[in-house]
Amino acid sequence: MINRIYRYREFLKTNVKKDIRGKYKGSFLGVLWSFINPLLMALVYAIVFPFILKNSQSNYVTFIVIGILPWTFLTTVIQQGTFCIIANGGIIKKVYFPREILPISVATSGLVNFFIALPIIILFCVFSGLGLSWYALLFPLIALTQYILLLGIIFISSAINVYIRDVEYIIQFMVNMLFYGTPVLYSATLFPAKYRWILNLNPMTTLINSYRDIFYYQKFPDFTMLGIVFACSALLLFIGINVFKKLERRFAEEV
Amino acid sequence: MSKDNNIAIKVDNVTKSFKVFYDKPSTLKERLVFWNKKKVDERVVLKNINVDINKGETVALIGTNGSGKSTLLKLMTQIIYPTKGKIKTWGKLTSLLELGAGFHPDFTGRENIYFNASIFGLTRKEINERLDQIIEFSELGELIDNPVRTYSSGQYMRLAFSVAINVNAEILLIDEILAVGDQHFQDKCFAKLHELKDSGKTIVIVSHSMESIKNLCDRAIWIYEGEVREDGKVNDVVKDYIKVCG
Repeated sequence: MINRIYRYREFLKTNVKKDIRGKYKGSFLGVLWSFINPLLMALVYAIVFPFILKNSQSNYVTFIVIGILPWTFLTTVIQQGTFCIIANGGIIKKVYFPREILPISVATSGLVNFFIALPIIILFCVFSGLGLSWYALLFPLIALTQYILLLGIIFISSAINVYIRDVEYIIQFMVNMLFYGTPVLYSATLFPAKYRWILNLNPMTTLINSYRDIFYYQKFPDFTMLGIVFACSALLLFIGINVFKKLERRFAEEV
Repeated sequence: MSKDNNIAIKVDNVTKSFKVFYDKPSTLKERLVFWNKKKVDERVVLKNINVDINKGETVALIGTNGSGKSTLLKLMTQIIYPTKGKIKTWGKLTSLLELGAGFHPDFTGRENIYFNASIFGLTRKEINERLDQIIEFSELGELIDNPVRTYSSGQYMRLAFSVAINVNAEILLIDEILAVGDQHFQDKCFAKLHELKDSGKTIVIVSHSMESIKNLCDRAIWIYEGEVREDGKVNDVVKDYIKVCG
């Protein structure tokens, strides 16, 4: 499989490019929107939430920005990814190519967008007075773990969505719900220690905690938890690829 | 790779049937509510097809509408998979089932050459090597740097055909797409196909134009209601076909 995908690497590359550039074609600000969107979201939360939630967090805006960007990475990849086979029905019916390329390119363009948005985090860290530490160099490692996790999810969701279109809406609801079950707007320590394990069942908790550790608290992330999440994500990816392989045989007839 | 070194495509006892749903349940609710009264018919499109296509052969698939020839072509491309039996191919394969797959209307002709050719599995280097050839063949000239949405439908097809024909595959599968552009461009396409044929490529073509088939192909396979009715020299098969269906 890796061999086949390698042969079609140019297709993967142009697909990613098309995703990133094509999305904003015709808009004045172009790629800048991938900065502005999460930034505006973060600002809205930063203005609204201190009124509702009593939070003791200093530098709350920076705190939120570090959480929002990985979360945007997740939502865009899952939304586009679940839909990606159906969206490309036209070429699936007409041309042979390794179908795996489609979810892979969605996840990869999400990852590239995430890296493009990284300067926002850095700017916030620097200008809020938190500064930047060497721990920030661990960023690619955490981002890669998230990439593998998302890839595993969309391999499964995109393939099933071809047969049962409800998956799209179920997933959308789950993502919306999960937003509140992930410490994006609040700190995980707000949860009573007794119930924190529930929060930890969510892999995004560990990932966002890790991003916060390296940027906000400037310390090593919890490598045990990160390792567990990495292992689970890799397992999920393995399962996802196999589910996808089973289901892809009738894609051209079903989309 | 195989003991049949001479064979480009081996269709081994292939049966393909499609499920025909009268009310296709595509949502969960429908699946749950109607789970026991699903009305499914199996329509067998191809029955026990056995065809070997040798390297360097130019083969036409003929038959009336709905006889299953396009399905057979799609099976060879691996877009769909057989219900029973096996299909194997040896060599790089390109299908021209549809022109302009993956064209993005907002990008220029030149950018779309990259998109389209990459779907066929070409690397950037290979595309760069062929770029001039493709642009020249399409006769689009300076238009190549305009967005594809500004093209006329003829220009669009010309560009798409130029990419597909220059991919340089060993096996070419072509489905009714030779009605491209004006007379001049059609002649050019046929000349190109002859050139590919002479250079030893394997070509399988589906067409209703008996004249062009007789002109281009050596062998014809007549598919009738999902089965091979006749397989042989192009002139004989076409003659019988016209007698029955013409």
